Amino acid sequence: MPLIINDVYPEKLFREDGKRLDGRENNELRPIKMEVGVLSNADGSAYLEWGNNKIYAAVYGPREVHPHHLAKPDRGILRVFYRMATFSVFERKRPAPGRREKEISMIITDCIEPVLFLELYPGTAFEVFIEVMDADGGTRCASTTVAALALADAGVPMRSLVSSVAVGKIDGQLITDLSGIEDKAGEADLPCAITWFNDELSLLQFDGDMSLDELNESLSNARKALEKIHQIQSDALKRKYTSILEEVKEGDD
Amino acid sequence: MENDDLESEELDEFESEETDREIVVPGEVLTEDVEHFNPGRGTILNKERTKIIALNIGLKQIKKNYINVIPLRGFYTPRPGDKVIALVIDKNPVKYKLDINAKDTAILKPKNAVRRGKIKALRGGAPGSRRMEAEEFDIGDILVAKIISADRLNMPELTLVGKYLGKKEDGIVISIDPPKIPRIIGRNGSMIKLLKNLTKCNIFVTQNGRIWIKGENIEYERLLIDAINKIETEAHTVGLTDRMSQYIENEKQKRGIK
Repeated sequence: MPLIINDVYPEKLFREDGKRLDGRENNELRPIKMEVGVLSNADGSAYLEWGNNKIYAAVYGPREVHPHHLAKPDRGILRVFYRMATFSVFERKRPAPGRREKEISMIITDCIEPVLFLELYPGTAFEVFIEVMDADGGTRCASTTVAALALADAGVPMRSLVSSVAVGKIDGQLITDLSGIEDKAGEADLPCAITWFNDELSLLQFDGDMSLDELNESLSNARKALEKIHQIQSDALKRKYTSILEEVKEGDD
Repeated sequence: MENDDLESEELDEFESEETDREIVVPGEVLTEDVEHFNPGRGTILNKERTKIIALNIGLKQIKKNYINVIPLRGFYTPRPGDKVIALVIDKNPVKYKLDINAKDTAILKPKNAVRRGKIKALRGGAPGSRRMEAEEFDIGDILVAKIISADRLNMPELTLVGKYLGKKEDGIVISIDPPKIPRIIGRNGSMIKLLKNLTKCNIFVTQNGRIWIKGENIEYERLLIDAINKIETEAHTVGLTDRMSQYIENEKQKRGIK
């Protein structure tokens, strides 16, 4: 007999002590851990743990484009392949790329493209492979963050890093960094990404309803969260090299 | 011994000790003093021309009034004059195609593959007329070649006419990250001299990140490969040459090599 579990959402998304279901404050991020250089065969790679999300990203390139008709004679292209593992969600996900994955691949491509100097690499492609091993809300934001990190690790010239976070509204209150259940049962969901070289939004999607004032406040909350995420990104990139420096220093003493 | 004195002179600037070993990430603001500093290698001015920002993950270096970022990771971009180790991947009567670890495959035309010093007089030809004999290669051959032309749009073109260039019949080829090649050579070739003296190996370093090695025996070659890998991981640290000579001496004792 097939196991049927209906999606049951709690009536309240806040606990009695005023905190969110996982014990966070309204504008608190989930714990984030980033690491670069995790895959030795890729030109650049990164791993991200964002709450329960676990995501790998690998970068190859610049290299020849296959199929060949996609190549542009005057500039390079960025191709992003976002995939979810079959075991990453509660009910087995079909492994074939579906509508949602194609959409997310496209939005990540459009989001990261402005920071790259693609005009310097005509006829070639940078390819980013994102594999979601475990998903719990906000994977498109986490994937954008980790893809930018992997590109930086590969030594691709970039104008700046790209950071991304989702903000939203649950039970009438504005919150930052929605988890899976808040995403599904909440009132509004607003993923956004920023390119730091011009301080402009590179991604803005919206689902739900929210007043204009709430939107403005959400975006300023997002800005604060994005600054924290950017700090974690730069630290992760530097740590790969500073850890070797420290090892060498210890060896000398 | 084949040496790369020319290359080490060219790459001297990357090996400057004045580099303050500060690691920067893409987008990091290097300075807001645009009047006294100019953006150099690996940097860019922002749109308002008020800040100089880094483009790569690398080490910040201030040279005169230029700010450079020496990359720690990256890929090889062919430049005319570079020596490269190339692998023949395709051949036809008109040209060879070679893999040079860049985004495009390189081309070698037979007119640039003339065997050195072997120009024969044509039988029955006019006096003084000579025939150039092009060398033949097979798919899978390893060549040391020089780039004669390379740009953004066209495939790079190679030549085999020159000192130290030609087919390699023996030895081992290993690959490292191309930005770390200057470290293998060292300031004025100090590191490469050290490696050669201590491991009794012939080394030929090329700018596309490939290194050709030929030693007296396999133990020395293994030791050298380990040493090169160590240099690659510790490329951004200070005092590397001294540490490497210590490391090789220690490893020699451990492995029982004289």
